[in-house]
Amino acid sequence: MTNFEISSAKVEATAGLSVRRHVMSAAILGVLILLSAVANGLWLKILTSVAIYTLTAASIALLYRRLGLVSLAQVAMMGIGGWVTLRLAHGTGLPFEMNVLCGGLSAGLVGMVLSYPALRMRGLYLALVTLMAAGGFAVLINVIQFPNGGDGFTGFAVRSVAYMPRPLIAQSDPAYLRYCAGVTALGFLLIRWHETTRPGRAWAMIRRSEACAISAGVNVTLYKVWGLALSGFLAGIAGGLLAGNLQLLDARSFPAGESVLIFALTIVGGAWHWFGAILTAILYRLLPAFLNDIGVNGNAAYIIFGGALIHALMSAPTGLAGQLSDAAMAIRRRLKRGRT
Amino acid sequence: MISIRNVTVSFGGVIALDRLSIDLEAPVVGVIGPNGAGKTTFLNVFSGFVVPRQGSINAFGTELLAMRPFRRSRWGLRRSFQKEQVVDELSVEDNVQVVLDPLDFTPSERKRHTAAALDYCGILKLRTRPAAGLNALERRMVELARCVAGRPRIILLDEPGAGLSLTEVEQLKTVITGMRAFNGATTLLIDHDVDLIQATCPVSMVLNFGALIASGATRDVLTDPRVRAVYLGEEAA
Repeated sequence: MTNFEISSAKVEATAGLSVRRHVMSAAILGVLILLSAVANGLWLKILTSVAIYTLTAASIALLYRRLGLVSLAQVAMMGIGGWVTLRLAHGTGLPFEMNVLCGGLSAGLVGMVLSYPALRMRGLYLALVTLMAAGGFAVLINVIQFPNGGDGFTGFAVRSVAYMPRPLIAQSDPAYLRYCAGVTALGFLLIRWHETTRPGRAWAMIRRSEACAISAGVNVTLYKVWGLALSGFLAGIAGGLLAGNLQLLDARSFPAGESVLIFALTIVGGAWHWFGAILTAILYRLLPAFLNDIGVNGNAAYIIFGGALIHALMSAPTGLAGQLSDAAMAIRRRLKRGRT
Repeated sequence: MISIRNVTVSFGGVIALDRLSIDLEAPVVGVIGPNGAGKTTFLNVFSGFVVPRQGSINAFGTELLAMRPFRRSRWGLRRSFQKEQVVDELSVEDNVQVVLDPLDFTPSERKRHTAAALDYCGILKLRTRPAAGLNALERRMVELARCVAGRPRIILLDEPGAGLSLTEVEQLKTVITGMRAFNGATTLLIDHDVDLIQATCPVSMVLNFGALIASGATRDVLTDPRVRAVYLGEEAA
């Protein structure tokens, strides 16, 4: 029988990677907790939206990384999650968590239904279908508006706007930032759990080749719908959290173009590394605010985004996260060589 | 026994398989023929990627063509492709376990079957390694482990020896020859390497322009004047 020698160094490297991932996640959560204690009102809101959009970026990266699918409807999915969360909060008085969960499930369901006709498509055509869905949502939401405590099915009132209550354990802005970071961390764990178990293996096979996946017994339709539903669910949860951050939502916050921008930034941040989603959200929310803070028009961020996207497409296919990871590995290797 | 009756496939005006009928019983059956003979189309009909215009494939009492393609794998049909289809971002173990996921195994049985398949193909020690770093032979062995894992009934191998060195093909021969003893499956092997076919297949069938022109013991088939004419390039006697 053939006999191959195992590369123990490679196995150790894989184990090391897992340990480093945990250390890094703990460090990021630590930094957020620290920032929640020292940041002022405006920056707290911005940091909270960074935590929320991290979850949205992670949902986009999941689809792209595992199934090779491009969804340009994730901001619309956030809008659906936000709409349902607001409606339930004003209409039923259920606990915040229950409303957000229902918002996520609704977005997952809508994502699943919308994705079904698109199952036979890939690449540009699928992207166009999802973009059209996002455009449709933008039109619809401009007509019916987000619920703000009014009567009827839409719950929209022109006057006497009510604010959505936040969760009992996170009434203040610093506490809400920590709350959103916690929910985003749970979202990451949900993604990780999927990726390391049966769905993750099936998705990886589908991305490699649908014919190969079918011949391995993978129900391609089921797993594609599952992937799109999970991605929609996470974006919907992010939408519910966004509603809690601002305590009301504005229809103008969810134009179809934002989905394109956040997808492009997911490529820049790096869809292949878990912390790429964090970089994406930092670029999307923190960078424009920072530019404003130093007296530069926040729209200048678009120039940076354009340059970064060209850079990512030409020389960094794994995004900034991939480059940082490679650089860290090179430094470690050099340090190790220095010690021996 | 696998009983194939009148399988006909056409792509527009081109007849890719022409009323193919044959019974297959040997542990490893070689499928040979010149380029464009319909060999891969034949395997694609088994897998369900090509729907024949007519015909039936009855394997061990089950009508294969009536099953949806992904259900055929769950029934026990496995295959490898001309271009290897190992998933780089999965570990070696996960690359194999993916075929066992849809089957009714307990987690411990799944682990046992995966380990047995990896061990059989000589790559057990690589199980935790990401597939991205494997060499050509190791990648081919991962595909073969995926084919033999669990309880397969039919294994379709499409040019598994392509791109391998002579020494590597020797290792491949050992794995293919032992498949029936390992899991009881019937293997259909397409390859252009006549030495590999001779060493592993007691029985072979020869296709030419979609028609079955010869079948039987491999040594007889390879000396058949019609086969020599169409496949080895000699004039018919």
